[in-house]
Amino acid sequence: MQGRWIGLLPAFVLVLFYLVTAPAKAPAHMAQKSHEVGRQIHLISSESASVQWARLATLRNAAPLTATVEAGGDEAAGGSLLNFFRRMADSSWSVGLHESRYAYDLIESVHVWALCLFFGLAVMFDLRLLGWTMRSVPVSEVARRLLPWTVVGFVVMVISGALLFSAIPLRSYQNIFFRAKMIMLTLAGLNVWIFHSGIYRRVATWDVNSVTPKAARVAGALSLVLWVAIVLSGRMIAYNWFDCDRQPQPAIINFLTSCVPTESER
Amino acid sequence: MSLLGFFQWCEQSGIGEAIRKSAWLFPLIEAIHLLGLGLIGGAVLVVDLRLLGLGLRRQSVAQVARDAQPWLLGSLMLMIATGGLLFLSEAIKCYYHTAFWLKMTSLFLALVFTFTVQRKVTMADQTRLRPLWGKVVALVSVLLWSGVGIGGRWIGFS
Repeated sequence: MQGRWIGLLPAFVLVLFYLVTAPAKAPAHMAQKSHEVGRQIHLISSESASVQWARLATLRNAAPLTATVEAGGDEAAGGSLLNFFRRMADSSWSVGLHESRYAYDLIESVHVWALCLFFGLAVMFDLRLLGWTMRSVPVSEVARRLLPWTVVGFVVMVISGALLFSAIPLRSYQNIFFRAKMIMLTLAGLNVWIFHSGIYRRVATWDVNSVTPKAARVAGALSLVLWVAIVLSGRMIAYNWFDCDRQPQPAIINFLTSCVPTESER
Repeated sequence: MSLLGFFQWCEQSGIGEAIRKSAWLFPLIEAIHLLGLGLIGGAVLVVDLRLLGLGLRRQSVAQVARDAQPWLLGSLMLMIATGGLLFLSEAIKCYYHTAFWLKMTSLFLALVFTFTVQRKVTMADQTRLRPLWGKVVALVSVLLWSGVGIGGRWIGFS
């Protein structure tokens, strides 16, 4: 089933973002002195094509050379996720989305519309597994006809959601509800995988039962609970109750959001 | 009482006041409203996809509609209850917001359409009905309900 690979979509989008928002300033350890760069350029001609490409990539990341001067004090340097999202927040792409009059609202609307397609139909399938609707329709029939649409909805959700994230990356990354949502998304994906590689393989033996096997009911109930919690926490990302700039917060909140309050904020 | 007067009365109601004063109530009701939206979206789409010939094709339109009916009605009641509470807390803002009136118009049309035209078509004998009509009805239904959902989302944007 092609749906198995769809779980990799978020990772793919993340890589895409990394490429789009490649570091504008060089991290300290990558900054080179101008004479070293000159030497490298000189060396390139005598190297094989693949090594040349590798060097070009390194050079591009290291540019501009002025970074050498300010590298020491650049807080966006370094390879941590926090710095990655900090750089993303500084990119013209992110600022443009964030400050646009309509783009953000339109993407948000697409996200909500796709929620009906994905969440609505996924819930219908879960309800069938629980035997609460369409009891006379074979489970495999509901799966075959509805799950492709949930895949379509999920793709639109991930793309629009990633765009929304890229508009406000740093704050979202440190948002407690966003973090909870990502963890629960992983769990929901795991649940889908376990269901499809487990009890659903033997669907032929229980296809027409109005009361499905216990494993299928557990999968349906888990899915239902997880997706409801994901929608709830997604909606709550908009609220700033636990944001880093609203100190003092309980230590546990600052731990969960990786906030480091300054001395005066404590 | 004028229309604006009614909206002011709603805004000043005790329930509206209580929701405005609480930090948690509005977000919570709004989140439940969003869950209801997903649920109603599913119940509407199952029937519309069937009418378009893209969903549960082996079942009759009438059967799919009957299966979805309780979920449609249930989520509709949840939507109206939570939506009403949200409205009470910010009635004046709604009065001056174009998106609110767009949403209410779409909602009225969607309700009338779903429970008259669409019900007639889904419950009709499919062998005597041209398939094209089912598809037109499904498209109109999706458009109207999308108007309700997206209009609702835009009430939140200033």
